[in-house]
Amino acid sequence: MNTLKIDKITVKVNDKIILKNFSLTIKSGEIHAIMGPNGTGKSTLTKVIMGDPNYQITKGAITFNDKKINDLKVYERARLGIFLGMQMPMEIEGVSNADFLRTALRSQNENFKLYSFIKELDSQIDKLKMDKDMIHRGINEGFSGGERKKNEILQMHLLKPKVVMLDEIDSGLDVDSLKIVGNSVMEYYEKEKPAILLVTHYQRLLDYIKPNYVHIMSDGKIVKSGDASLAKQIEKEGYDKIKETSTKVQEEIK
Amino acid sequence: MNKIEIVNDKIIAKQLDDSITVSSALNNINLRQIKIKITKDTDLTIDYSSNENTKLDFYINISPNVTCNLYENKQLGNYKLGYKYYLDKNSTLNIYKINDVTNIKELLIFNLNGENAKVNYLLKTISKNHEKYDLMVYHNSSHTISNLINHGVNINDGQIDFTVSGFVPNGKKDCLVDQKNRIINLTNNVCAIKPNLFIDENDVIANHSAHIGKCNDDEMFYLMSRGITYKEAENLIIKGFLLKGLNNYQDEMNEIIQKYWR
Repeated sequence: MNTLKIDKITVKVNDKIILKNFSLTIKSGEIHAIMGPNGTGKSTLTKVIMGDPNYQITKGAITFNDKKINDLKVYERARLGIFLGMQMPMEIEGVSNADFLRTALRSQNENFKLYSFIKELDSQIDKLKMDKDMIHRGINEGFSGGERKKNEILQMHLLKPKVVMLDEIDSGLDVDSLKIVGNSVMEYYEKEKPAILLVTHYQRLLDYIKPNYVHIMSDGKIVKSGDASLAKQIEKEGYDKIKETSTKVQEEIK
Repeated sequence: MNKIEIVNDKIIAKQLDDSITVSSALNNINLRQIKIKITKDTDLTIDYSSNENTKLDFYINISPNVTCNLYENKQLGNYKLGYKYYLDKNSTLNIYKINDVTNIKELLIFNLNGENAKVNYLLKTISKNHEKYDLMVYHNSSHTISNLINHGVNINDGQIDFTVSGFVPNGKKDCLVDQKNRIINLTNNVCAIKPNLFIDENDVIANHSAHIGKCNDDEMFYLMSRGITYKEAENLIIKGFLLKGLNNYQDEMNEIIQKYWR
């Protein structure tokens, strides 16, 4: 059982506070979806967990299996098994996907076997309906938005993380690709039972990746949590109404 | 493939077919001049090595309707080189150049003399000391095209200076002038890129880009988020940067990369 605990963190970037006293615990086998209007700190949360040096934790702690990881470097967190499927995956000219993936896998596993890598790669490329030549091209070089997102999922399968964060993995995907990506994530989930943190704007992704918990973020914190039905409620009523209700409840409690 | 091998300032071997004529002579100030004339579509490789101060002047003519791929590989030594290229009507010159030298100064003048003349130029260099490149492209006819790419990685005591100038006089219409310059500077030494566009004609497309810096932070974050260390990520980015576009010199460049980024 792996546990990622975010304990009352406050995060700032360029002197602006983005996350305020934010807490969330995610365990193996759980799927958490974070939803919320633009600019509320959803992507910041995933980057902070991954260790992006642009974001500074001024208070609180992030622990992975009770080990504080606040000061770990990005690659050290990745080697613990934390993975971030990015909202806008970088295009890196000249660095082939093959070189990149080999280096990443070798860095995590000294007993890396090229044959098994190629076999698994071919199988995932087929399942994700990706172009076989992509492996020889530069990372995301000339890839469409959808291909980039599939490339993130491909990397997830190969790296086998224990915590999977997917930041708007549904954006840029057409309906068919959304289904492929959604099913692919669920296939990984069924096999490896990772902890999953999804950031999304739309209920449509949750038709394929079924969350145990849905959280609504606003102004750097979670304002409401619930089960999958909350996502449907958001789609129907919008964030404002839910935020209103939540604020009233909080005021009544006070 | 046609090949010329130069050691210090002398041609020590050449293997040429009838598409190329080469002559070499000392001028009145004892500077060796090498004249190359390309009369048919062809590929030419020039390999250089030097263990002293090498000074050479090249005059390279491309005949009308001819396409030439010119590959240059310079190793070791100190170089001071001048190149004058003359491109006739409908000719194309594609230059792929890798430099792994001690010090170098190059002055390159491209004369696009005939209509539809086109030059594509790609330089990849690893600078350990002083390197200075002055490139000038004269669009002397309409419908001429220049695409210049200068890529350098600066290490050790390196210092790179790119000055790249494109000239389009009034009346030379529908020219395309493009230059992309980038230096990955892995030192605290000062590097410079001076992109200049001297355009006296309205009907022209002209672009330039210049970038000096360490490896891109976002690219580094992406690679490290997959478990790759800072050093390994930097090596991958540099390797990609140096190999990109060099189809003919992949093995040679891989050897150079192994030497500096093992």
